[in-house]
Amino acid sequence: MFKNSWPLAMLAVTLAASTARAHEIVGNRFFPATLAIDDPGVTDELALPTVSMSKTGDVASFKQLDISGEFAKRITEDFAISVAPTWSRLYAPGGLTTNGARGFQNVETLLKYRLFKNDEHEFVMSAGLEIEWGGSGAQGVGAERFNVYTPTLYFGKGFGDLPASMNWARPFAITGQFGYSIPGVSKVVTATVDPDTLEQDIDTEYIPRVFNWGATLQYSMPYLKSAVVDLGLPDFINRLIPIVEASFQTPVSNTATSGTVTTGTINPGVIYTGKTYQFAIEAQIPVNRQSGTSVGVIGQLHFYLDDIFPNTLGRPIFANNINTGRPMFGR
Amino acid sequence: MRSIIASIAFLFAAAGPVFAHAHLDRANPAVGSTVTPAPKEVVLWFTNQLEPAFSSIEVRNEKGASVQAGKAVVDRSNRTRMSVPLKSLPPGSYKVMWRVLSVDTHRTVGDFSFRVGP
Repeated sequence: MFKNSWPLAMLAVTLAASTARAHEIVGNRFFPATLAIDDPGVTDELALPTVSMSKTGDVASFKQLDISGEFAKRITEDFAISVAPTWSRLYAPGGLTTNGARGFQNVETLLKYRLFKNDEHEFVMSAGLEIEWGGSGAQGVGAERFNVYTPTLYFGKGFGDLPASMNWARPFAITGQFGYSIPGVSKVVTATVDPDTLEQDIDTEYIPRVFNWGATLQYSMPYLKSAVVDLGLPDFINRLIPIVEASFQTPVSNTATSGTVTTGTINPGVIYTGKTYQFAIEAQIPVNRQSGTSVGVIGQLHFYLDDIFPNTLGRPIFANNINTGRPMFGR
Repeated sequence: MRSIIASIAFLFAAAGPVFAHAHLDRANPAVGSTVTPAPKEVVLWFTNQLEPAFSSIEVRNEKGASVQAGKAVVDRSNRTRMSVPLKSLPPGSYKVMWRVLSVDTHRTVGDFSFRVGP
């Protein structure tokens, strides 16, 4: 086991705590904002708050509460910038008898560009660059002093183009992301002096490059009702999207002190989609001991600003003043 | 924290009437249904009001031929309702394709099928 597991835990937390989540409409398909990974959507939105409670994989494990927000703004129709601060409370091992830590994590920004969108096949792909700004958060909760850059590819695919004989499967959709986190430094050296012996102790922590990957599988009841078969179910049911998300982090280089164990969670949950907002709640099931010691929970309230403020805050900064639209059938 | 919550509440209160994208709410014939006798028209209800000039419906049979008897019309007294008259439909499967522009200028598209029974 590592001499001090907190820095590693904090790195994992930081890398996993991305809160930039979007939603997207592609033909018949509505891709909701997701919690564990980002989806390919580029739009104007506000996720506030996202609250999660989990127990880390440290020895000894401790509880962590995260409260975060995310604001995304389209600059053009296909390009958006988002900002996501996170406040953390760490409950130290030993419970109330010992001091924990609290404070903001490093601020994250995400630049995302929609590369491709196909309505007929309900397919969309985007590319993004996420930047964690080193030194903008509190070191007490593990915020590092260096930047971390994560170029990422996102995709979404709905299965509405399956043949009619597979109607039952058409409400399914998948989304995924593949990112590579590159820290701004390769190692952090800490020197401490033993007060008794006055000997100096040099501790070198190598900061790994990490492959961030994940996917979601979702079944859209709104899609079932509006595009496959209207079963006459209650409106509440017709607004639900049961979902399973999976999010993983795999250190791939410079792993001398971090190890190469993949960590992550699998999150079963459900999303309720309203007209201008959505609410989601998921369990967070650690995939191994290093990912956590018990099932956590995460919930999010998310507002579609493009629907709430369609003529001001919810439209791209650089867009046509008049959205003329174009009739599909040649009128 | 209170001032932040108050600011957000003010922002949303100042948003005025909420419009949102126009999604298909329900249809007649119903999505995925089998109907007898053949319908004389397809009626769609949306979750938002529509811009008539940029909203349309097309209905096609299994061979891809159009079976409409006229243009789609948005109801003037209820702009969430749009309908299109149909020719006499023999038994078979039909695909309804819609494309609408909501009054807040969001464009959405969609399609579904229904069957006419023997």
